[in-house]
Amino acid sequence: MSRLDKIFAGWTFRTATPEFEPGETITAYVSEHNGSGLSIRVGDSVIRVADGQDAAVEDKVRLKVTSFDSDSHVGTGELVEVLGPDG
Amino acid sequence: MPEEPDIELSFRGGRLVSALPIALFIAWAIFQSGFLGIGDTTGLVAGMLTGLIVGMLFVRGDWKEYADVIFAGMTRRVAATAVVAWLWAGMFAETIQVGGFVDGLVWAATVLNVGPGLFPAATFLLAALLATGIGTGYGTAIAFTSLVFPAGLLLGANPVLLFGAILSGAVFGDNLAPVSDTTIVSAVTQDADIGGVVASRVKYAVVAAAFAIAAYLVAGFGIPGVWSGMPHADVTGQVSASVSPWGLVHLLDIAVVIALAIRGRHIIEAVSWGLILAAVFNVAFGAAGLIDVSAGSMLLFSAPQNGFTQMIDALPIIGAVVETVPGAQAGVGGSIYSGAVGFFPLIVLTLLLVAGAEVMRAGGGFDAIQELIIDTVATTVRRAETTMVLGTALVNATVTINTAAEIAIAPYVATLGKRFNINGYRRANILDANTSALGYIFPWGGGLLAGYGAMQGLVGGEATPWFTQQMLVNPASVFPYVFHGWFLVGVFLLAAWTGYGREYVSDRTSEEVSRV
Repeated sequence: MSRLDKIFAGWTFRTATPEFEPGETITAYVSEHNGSGLSIRVGDSVIRVADGQDAAVEDKVRLKVTSFDSDSHVGTGELVEVLGPDG
Repeated sequence: MPEEPDIELSFRGGRLVSALPIALFIAWAIFQSGFLGIGDTTGLVAGMLTGLIVGMLFVRGDWKEYADVIFAGMTRRVAATAVVAWLWAGMFAETIQVGGFVDGLVWAATVLNVGPGLFPAATFLLAALLATGIGTGYGTAIAFTSLVFPAGLLLGANPVLLFGAILSGAVFGDNLAPVSDTTIVSAVTQDADIGGVVASRVKYAVVAAAFAIAAYLVAGFGIPGVWSGMPHADVTGQVSASVSPWGLVHLLDIAVVIALAIRGRHIIEAVSWGLILAAVFNVAFGAAGLIDVSAGSMLLFSAPQNGFTQMIDALPIIGAVVETVPGAQAGVGGSIYSGAVGFFPLIVLTLLLVAGAEVMRAGGGFDAIQELIIDTVATTVRRAETTMVLGTALVNATVTINTAAEIAIAPYVATLGKRFNINGYRRANILDANTSALGYIFPWGGGLLAGYGAMQGLVGGEATPWFTQQMLVNPASVFPYVFHGWFLVGVFLLAAWTGYGREYVSDRTSEEVSRV
């Protein structure tokens, strides 16, 4: 990304509830640990991962979105890779 | 430089009591400068000393540890940096002042037709430019208060508005400059590259600056405030013909300082070169009769009159900086001397304040306040961002040295932001903008004190004999006029609510941290 692109990135009003497409792979921090699963909050949207023991809260992870309900802003995903706290 | 391991302190009454020295100092500062209108920095030193003594009474266990914490705070690098910056900048600013720089500015403003109405807005823009170049808002506040402030008064600009405009410019640069210490802290603590952080904050800074310029224009033409009896200007701003343009030669030595600072030279080295160049210009232009200045304006030994001192006074070269006076008037003077001396009370105050902040850290006061902030309201991304804005603002409003406050709140901004996957650039921008803004607004803010210290240096200064104690701006009266600071906080509150500029980690990951 050039310096000029960086200056003009983000001059928009970004929603509090971003949407994701099934199949999309995203990078994000783990927000919560609940039992063996994880919650990843992106704004007020939540993606739940059923099996995520390897990742701790505040670890950066790559995950594949498997479903997303654009009314409730809640989806599910699978862990692809744990990048760690400074990943 | 390795830091000693951090000592923990326990206070009677809980962790928040560790904030007592600083809380007491703030109350003292508000009482002294706000209620009583006494703008005496040494008085604030007494307040901070009292606060540190009272705080000690609440420490559980060995009071020696409390003393150790005070020592640890006073020897922090941030305090030494401020002390060095003030001493060198003070000498430099006073030396170019005695070299007629203010007269040069007055001349330029007249030629360019910048009247008292336009002056605050122009000052804001120039201060913002300088601060963005050199990366130090404190340095800008000091330099502009020493140099441009008197010029503005001579043209009849409103002093409170003018001081607010200078502080606004300092906020702008502190926020945006890649070499600013707060910019570096914001990027490093939020895992983001400095270039990307600076590029991504332009969208907030320009919006706030546009409102600030408009506000300075409206206020500049709307608020009167001319001191009568200015030597160069009458109440209509007419400048007398005797003002010399030659002082503008000092733009060259200022340019040298900025260029060296941008190229990464140490402030001691950069300012020393500027000082040497300024001294050479002063001697040369003084000898040529273009500026009313001599070696004795920069350094003067006023020795008690006797045969020996009269002999030295008559010597070539050395005699230029020695004069003989009646015994009671003996002393040392000149811009090198008075430029440094002007900062002595502020230096002592800063050392004590940093000690007070260290007590608060060691006693868990910082932790207590920040946990309270995180647990109470951050339930949605809007509320989380609003909390980050207000939390950063609150910590910076209570702690004088804003870099120290920023370092303290940074881990909490990171934790809260990561919980909602707010991108590193956005977190760094929220952190730095509100840190920069609040450090220059309230009467105990470090940036405001730095500028105020410089203003005190004008009283009876070599170059500003007309500036009297009555002309000092009350530090408690400036806060409404630091327009850029307020607009910056406002822009971020609106941005938190509307999502303006918001980016998530999943939208764009910030790059690796590096120096540029």
